[in-house]
Amino acid sequence: MSVVILDKLCKRYGTSQYAVDHVDLHIRDGEFMVLLGPSGCGKSTTLRMVAGLETISEGTLSIDGRVVNNVAAKDRDIAMVFQSYALYPHMTVGENLAFGLRRRNVNAAEIERRVKEAADILGLGALLARKPSALSGGQRQRVALGRAMVREPMVFLFDEPLSNLDAALRVNTRNELIKQHHRLGSTMIYVTHDQVEAMTMGTRICVMNGGKVAQIGAPLDVYWEPADTFVARFLGSPPMNLFTAPLRRSADGFLLEEGAFHTPLTRWSAASLAPYADRKITFGVRAEDLHLDPAAAGEGLRGRIRGKAFAIEPLGAETLVVLETPLGECTARLPRNVMVRPGDEVHLAFSASAAYLFDAETGRAISGERTAQGALAAARGLQ
Amino acid sequence: MALFSMLGARDPGATPLPRLFARGGLALVIGAYTIYTLGPFLWLASMSVRTTGEISLDHYAWPSPFHWEQFRIAWVDSNFATYFWNSTLVVVGAVAVVTLVGAAAAHALARYRFKGNRLIYAVLFSSIIFPPQITLISLYQILVDYNLYNSLLGLTLVYISLQLPLTVYLLEGFFARIPQDLFDAAKMDGYGDIEIFRRIVLPIGMPAIATTLILNFIQLWNEFLFAVVLITDPDKRTLPIGIRAFMGDHFQDIGMIAAGVMISVVPVILAYIFFSEKLIRGMTAGAVK
Repeated sequence: MSVVILDKLCKRYGTSQYAVDHVDLHIRDGEFMVLLGPSGCGKSTTLRMVAGLETISEGTLSIDGRVVNNVAAKDRDIAMVFQSYALYPHMTVGENLAFGLRRRNVNAAEIERRVKEAADILGLGALLARKPSALSGGQRQRVALGRAMVREPMVFLFDEPLSNLDAALRVNTRNELIKQHHRLGSTMIYVTHDQVEAMTMGTRICVMNGGKVAQIGAPLDVYWEPADTFVARFLGSPPMNLFTAPLRRSADGFLLEEGAFHTPLTRWSAASLAPYADRKITFGVRAEDLHLDPAAAGEGLRGRIRGKAFAIEPLGAETLVVLETPLGECTARLPRNVMVRPGDEVHLAFSASAAYLFDAETGRAISGERTAQGALAAARGLQ
Repeated sequence: MALFSMLGARDPGATPLPRLFARGGLALVIGAYTIYTLGPFLWLASMSVRTTGEISLDHYAWPSPFHWEQFRIAWVDSNFATYFWNSTLVVVGAVAVVTLVGAAAAHALARYRFKGNRLIYAVLFSSIIFPPQITLISLYQILVDYNLYNSLLGLTLVYISLQLPLTVYLLEGFFARIPQDLFDAAKMDGYGDIEIFRRIVLPIGMPAIATTLILNFIQLWNEFLFAVVLITDPDKRTLPIGIRAFMGDHFQDIGMIAAGVMISVVPVILAYIFFSEKLIRGMTAGAVK
């Protein structure tokens, strides 16, 4: 059992503002928890507090029920993989792997067994006598992972370990990490600013912003049901399109209509929208939910956006078209063979079920009826 | 040869004749510089196996015969064995302390955030700026007050205080570039501060440490001013003062001085040969990769 509980965990440097602001996080045994957020959001500081490399200003941190606020890093039974790999340059790969075990008085035969096992699993057998300077980035990364593995710790921590790898190697190493998580079944906490890593690796993800937890949940849940505009824009590439427009009453209930923009709001009950009537509200729609062909937006009620294309970004598998609309920029992910040129007026349609609403002042999501059914409808729109 | 090859490779479009001129010019410059630096040393080496009388007759003549006995006379009859031993004791002791204490202080200043960190650094740095001669009289008085005047221990302590600031300054710059992640990784691996210093900082910082070690060794081995002021007892002389003993008011035994100097440079050359690779790495080190 390796349950990690962060209870109102805070970090302050001097009397300055909170770098980590009352973070509550319950990480289950064997879970792969990803801390996701932009630079400076406090995710690495949170990880370093768990590691014991930063002192905790307020709150409690417990591992397996034991409060470890004042326990030294070396006594927490935690291993960490760093962004820079942090391999000791004067030691060979074998010595790097064994370094932590030697300190813990593990006998020589056991050290040899564990080093050999880790080297075999990670394909480092032929590299054991080499110094880190003679290794490629991917090999160094595997040594760093191996150094954590041989320790057989209760919890693994990863601080953006794939950031220094090229795109192809990043995919391979990502899969390697997923494989090792399945094999070891250990609790892992992984920090990244890369949403693809978070979505593909995490059992759950914890999105952080400004030192606070913005949302915690399974990757797809967070993607489909963002808690606020920050999460909505942070998860998804290109980010979710957001527009602010007045909420108007219609014969059927409510609709958003402003110039070139129109959408019926079928997902929300009249009661949930009543407080926002005749006030500005933030509307969101993802780029992949926008279609040139209205039929592709699915059956039922549809919304419309009209604008002038000013940037076409062909990505190979698809084309991103950026429109200038009266409410601001809007990006649509369209098929690769789309015939749109800069300057063209473009009419886009989307399913009413793909719409999101947020409080324009707080940015918090206005909960609608989009449960699994809504997500499925939106997913159908993608297909 | 490698240098010439590089020169050729750098300009593949050049015609052979200009390339030949470029190589010849470079060889000429290197040759002239070699003669300029090595010439006086070779001249001194030739004088060390000639008598003062022979040198007076012709300063630049080739030794004939070679008077190897001059080294024996210097070593045995002129007390050079004692001077050599005294120099070794003082310099090795001072360099050892300066290296260990300097490395530890540099590590602390580079790695730990504590109140007064930059103040200590500034005080150390300011002591590098002033010429050491200005402390001579006060150091003399301090050594007299503490019964350390005319003692090898006193001279060792003075040498330590002279070389420590520059050593800390040089090493701090190098140590500060060691990535913090290495220290964090070692902490996670279970190592404490002293163990991290011993197992991580010292091995990684070895090129810089070797650089300061050899620079300190050469500087102190040749140090004359403080030794001549703070040591008067003939049995406690270091090599530079011992060599001076061959200089009288009316007569200078040039042959013996040359033999003494040759004896005194041997350890410096050995130290350089032993540490030269690390010295170059330390001088050219940018950052730890």
